[in-house]
Amino acid sequence: MFEKVLIANRGEIALRVARACRELGVKAVAVYSTADAESAVVRFADEAVQIGPPAVSRSYLHIPSIIGAALKTGADAIHPGYGFLSEDPYFAEICFDEGITFIGPRPDVMEKVGDKATARDLMSKAGLPLLPGTVEPVNTLDEAHDIAVEIGYPVIIKAVAGGGGRGMSVVQREGDLGRLYQTTRATAQAVFKDSAVYIERYLETSRHTEIQLVCDAHGNGVYFGERDCSVQRRHQKLIEEAPSIHLTEETRREVGEAAVRGALSVGYTGAGTMEFLLDLDGNLSFMEMNARIQVEHPVSEMVTSVDLIQEQIRVAAGEELSVSQEDVPLRGHAIECRINAEDPDRDFAPTAGRLDTYVPPGGPWTRVDSHCYPGWMVSPFYDSLIAKLIVWAPDRDRAIDRMDRALTEFEISGRGVKTTIPFHRRILAHPQFRSGDVTTDFVEHFMSEEAAAAAAAS
Amino acid sequence: MTEPAKRKPADQDLIRAVWDEARDLIKRLEGSTVQRFAVEAGDTRIEIERGIPAGVVASAPAALASAAATGDEAALAAELDSRHPIKAPLVGTFYRASQPGADPFVKEGDAVDAGQTVAIVEAMKLMNQVLADASGTVAEIVAEDGQWVEFEQVLMYLQPPEE
Repeated sequence: MFEKVLIANRGEIALRVARACRELGVKAVAVYSTADAESAVVRFADEAVQIGPPAVSRSYLHIPSIIGAALKTGADAIHPGYGFLSEDPYFAEICFDEGITFIGPRPDVMEKVGDKATARDLMSKAGLPLLPGTVEPVNTLDEAHDIAVEIGYPVIIKAVAGGGGRGMSVVQREGDLGRLYQTTRATAQAVFKDSAVYIERYLETSRHTEIQLVCDAHGNGVYFGERDCSVQRRHQKLIEEAPSIHLTEETRREVGEAAVRGALSVGYTGAGTMEFLLDLDGNLSFMEMNARIQVEHPVSEMVTSVDLIQEQIRVAAGEELSVSQEDVPLRGHAIECRINAEDPDRDFAPTAGRLDTYVPPGGPWTRVDSHCYPGWMVSPFYDSLIAKLIVWAPDRDRAIDRMDRALTEFEISGRGVKTTIPFHRRILAHPQFRSGDVTTDFVEHFMSEEAAAAAAAS
Repeated sequence: MTEPAKRKPADQDLIRAVWDEARDLIKRLEGSTVQRFAVEAGDTRIEIERGIPAGVVASAPAALASAAATGDEAALAAELDSRHPIKAPLVGTFYRASQPGADPFVKEGDAVDAGQTVAIVEAMKLMNQVLADASGTVAEIVAEDGQWVEFEQVLMYLQPPEE
């Protein structure tokens, strides 16, 4: 096991990783910008190094400062958290060159799975189902035309290097193909410096389903069930749950096993997620792989009783996974709400400010992953996540009731600070959410429904 | 004694790759205070030394002035006795001279002008100039040569010129 792990991140995930380190008996080093000098992880960690000004380009993304802090403090590993440098093969490579273990996959593996075309090719070979479409990049408009005709409209054109909802266009009919093919390529070139695109069938309505897995360096891999993240707005997830109520036991096992096989086939090590679209007939199609721990990992932890961050650290240290597939049956239902400092009435604009009141909920099976405390300044420099509220219950209905109860207990206030708590409560109360029949366009419909009701009332 | 290994003829591809890397680096360093860097692959090494555009110098003091106080007692005392602290612009190793054996950029008692290089901080073999963000006389150099410093750690104090 490592002696000391440097956490190259901030906010709730930095604290989450530091807690895992403490329980493993590993020393934790926090790095922080001047805006985060009073942060919870700086107090909690065994050591802390101020690495730069608030701007991320000179602090949390500034590789020389982070490596410098690791070398100075004698850290033998770096945990990148999510976001920032977590999926940067260049950073992983520098860690390796400096003799520091990067807690994640090898740089070459990270690069492979990060390229969507390569990932699709590799996972299709491992037996994961793909949507009808191309595995190879589409190089000419003629080719694009032939493929679209073959798989049928609507189709979606996606940048090979794309991500986060950028660099993709839905083509409803043939007449739009030429224009959208050109603009998607141009956007891909401008944003991702790679104009390569591929084409696949576009599903109008589907559920975002993802499989959590962890692989060690001894050829073992375990999947930790799936998460449904269909409650999202513009590709930003708001509510996640585990398991998905739309997956049969058989599909779960088949796809879980194929996901592990696919990950092991490329030499993947560490925690990772395979993203799928689940159509209304219950068919899964592989979308992409995320080579990092994800924000919503706690819901999987709650239904499997496994600390995923600890497993991640363990396998990075060269140890075997502490659990095998038989040890992780799914139990009960877990839901996570992302409490953001955002104003849903003003298009979810971030609302930075000092938290005068911060009283997290408690009670049975209620977990709050947060770095906030009364007096904490929600900074305009970083993301607006205040807390992840996670509840567990024996079934989905009771989990929703418990979540609503916990949301009513959560007190957050400060000058100018608005949160997504009221929005979450309205979603939980919606009959469609209650029924579980939620697809990725749910939030959009929900919001126009609310807007229409408000207009009718005035 | 063994025969020294025969020097391989320079590999054109390698040279080109090193050049590309160097060109890419130069572009990425625009607006930074990195002064000198080297790119190396096999026998091929390119070392670049660059001047710092005036704009960068001007922007540094604002960034430093707006940052929160470190809480360091020495810094507090210094502020009370009106000395001006010069702080580390990034994490790295503090050096008083451009290279081992060279004269230090400044010594105690030297007069410096705003914008003048007073030290370097090395981070991953990149030499970053530390520029004086005010004019004055070097009153005290508190960081040791070769010492590892955090962002905004006080390196030295200037005595402002008499009004």
